[in-house]
Amino acid sequence: MSVSRRDFVRQSAAVGVALGAGGYLAGLAGPRATAAPPLRPPGALDEESFLATCIRCMRCTDACPNHALVPMQDRDGRGGSGTPTMEPRKAACMLCATEDGDFLKCTEVCPSGALQLVRKDREDIGAKVAIGIAEIDLNLCYSYNNWSCGACFRACPLAGEAMTIGRWERPTVHPQACVGCGCCERACIRYPHAIRVMTGRA
Amino acid sequence: MKLQVIRRCVQLCVILLVCGIALLSLYAHYRSARVIHDPQLMAGMRGEIVTQAIHPWVDSLDDPQALLDGNKGTLWSMRLLGVSLTDPLAAAEMLAASKHVHWPLLASIVIPVVLTLLLGRVFCSWMCPAYVLFEIAGKLRRLLHLAEIEPADVPFSHRNKYVLLAVGLALAAAASTPIFVLIYPPAVLSRVIHAWIFGTAATAMLVILGLMVAFELFVSPRWWCRTMCPGGALYGLLGWARPVRVRLKRDLCTGCADCIPVCEAGINPITQSSSIECDNCGVCLRYCNTQALVFTIGLPDPLRRRSSKPQSGAGGKRGKRSKRGRRAAALTALALTATAAPAEGHHILGLPHYSYKENYPQRPTLEYPATTGPYDVLLTSYPGVPNPGEPANLAFYIKDRNTGRAYAEPVTLRVLQTSTFGDNTIVLPATTRSPFENEFKFYVTFPTDGEYVVELSMPVEGRIEVIPFLMIAGRPSATASMVIVGAFGSVFAFVVARAVRRKGHRTAGRRVLAEVGI
Repeated sequence: MSVSRRDFVRQSAAVGVALGAGGYLAGLAGPRATAAPPLRPPGALDEESFLATCIRCMRCTDACPNHALVPMQDRDGRGGSGTPTMEPRKAACMLCATEDGDFLKCTEVCPSGALQLVRKDREDIGAKVAIGIAEIDLNLCYSYNNWSCGACFRACPLAGEAMTIGRWERPTVHPQACVGCGCCERACIRYPHAIRVMTGRA
Repeated sequence: MKLQVIRRCVQLCVILLVCGIALLSLYAHYRSARVIHDPQLMAGMRGEIVTQAIHPWVDSLDDPQALLDGNKGTLWSMRLLGVSLTDPLAAAEMLAASKHVHWPLLASIVIPVVLTLLLGRVFCSWMCPAYVLFEIAGKLRRLLHLAEIEPADVPFSHRNKYVLLAVGLALAAAASTPIFVLIYPPAVLSRVIHAWIFGTAATAMLVILGLMVAFELFVSPRWWCRTMCPGGALYGLLGWARPVRVRLKRDLCTGCADCIPVCEAGINPITQSSSIECDNCGVCLRYCNTQALVFTIGLPDPLRRRSSKPQSGAGGKRGKRSKRGRRAAALTALALTATAAPAEGHHILGLPHYSYKENYPQRPTLEYPATTGPYDVLLTSYPGVPNPGEPANLAFYIKDRNTGRAYAEPVTLRVLQTSTFGDNTIVLPATTRSPFENEFKFYVTFPTDGEYVVELSMPVEGRIEVIPFLMIAGRPSATASMVIVGAFGSVFAFVVARAVRRKGHRTAGRRVLAEVGI
């Protein structure tokens, strides 16, 4: 099939313009700054580098033994479609506690370096995992409202470090040790849940 | 010819591989949750496949965990039997977007790149599942021909794809986010297969693929693979000096040009079989009556341009029966995909835990945030999508953003069922409640499948604010998808019927002409 140079240039220009316009419109779509960044898997780079580095291959969502990682739908026009996220309310990161192997499975399968390899011991997890930080809403927490519960404390894999419990089983989160695994949010028996993992990287 | 049978087998194997990896991953989730033997949780189609087909086989292996850990991902990047394989386009794009070299990623493209260097664009023609989809679209165009609904045949330059590759990589670098992954059909299709097997939504991705197929059907045949695909462009460039290529034995060529219309890459095999557009699919070999076109292995030769003009000749019988068989197989495959039944969702995973409440754990729940004045309002519903006739537990939590205190005055709730025609029906008349433990709780029974408006009225800064929340009960979308499937089905049936009738007319006309002796 032969195409004259003029046609070639014209069609190339059309393709370029269409792509540029599409990219620009994709950038305009949706409010950019309003939504909080989604929760990212353990060992993830910071949000901006993560979006650039993640190739959306879904290996980590396949590998997560608890099925906590799910591919995201692009809701805010940041181009995050297909990137991994988690909803602790549905399934939290168990830090691969019940699995064999030396590393967290999602970080082990990541081909692109968007998730940095995390060894499965307390030091490495404490140093590299920063999914978010749990926050307690004192209006909702049963233990702060004339009941006694303690479900979150019992679920916490770093209990004693990331979370301590006081009289009437009142929980306290220690942000410097909390890795944001979300087991507390998953365990909370109140709804709307009284404890939530919030991204500290807005 | 046998080669095409092998090619179809390879294509099928790749599709089965993508499905198989997704199924194994699904099984791995169940296995980690230790629920394989729970009949209640393993009900439904997915559960049955997992328990009946996968579990006995995997469990009988020596090291089942190695198999499960060794196979993950999609065609975009996959771990296959423990070996990491990545599409070179993914690596190129990640390199452009992140401006950072990650050596393991580069190591994982070595096998695909070496294969392409030796064999050319074989990923396209022998492995890409989207290529199969577009081949089917190409066959459906023949059905349109038969029905005398002439689809357009707009030519686009084959060089567009190199421009798209360059522009896309530049855009990815500028925007610091990969773009091809959103549109590159094999990546999209393997994500669709994943979503389909895991039972999650893939609507946006299906729309992209549907638009491509529609464009190929009605505007330009094989438009994506021939003229747009950035992956094909990259593979073509990599395979420029491939030793394995189609060559023409000039002394055997009769110039019948039978190979030209069948070429999947849309080139002229007689003159251009050495070009980077050729994807080594080998279809032209099959249609060559004199075996003038052959695969050869040899040192790469520079692109040769031949000026010999092919003369059009009579194209002999070309296996009409096998063509009909293939069309039937393609239609059956289409029909099979249309009959895929949705399985019930499983909510099996998470930590084992004791329960304080009968409805624990409260999922799927709906959380619906809103703001009014200084207040953050959060609607929570259990279940998130209530079944008609069952009471749903709606709870409102209203918090003052500035003081952090919970709202303590009574609020009013009203629930309406929206209807496309006519007025909305009141399901719950205005009801006023005081908070209990800082929450406003309402039990609402939604009578039928449909969309509802939950209206919360509360006094804010001296006036009454009404906040509407949209809620869905049951599965109203099922009707819509039935309508869409029905519409597409009837259009398809119409085209088939028209094709058959027109064919009948043509045969009858020929018979009449024969009778009068023309």
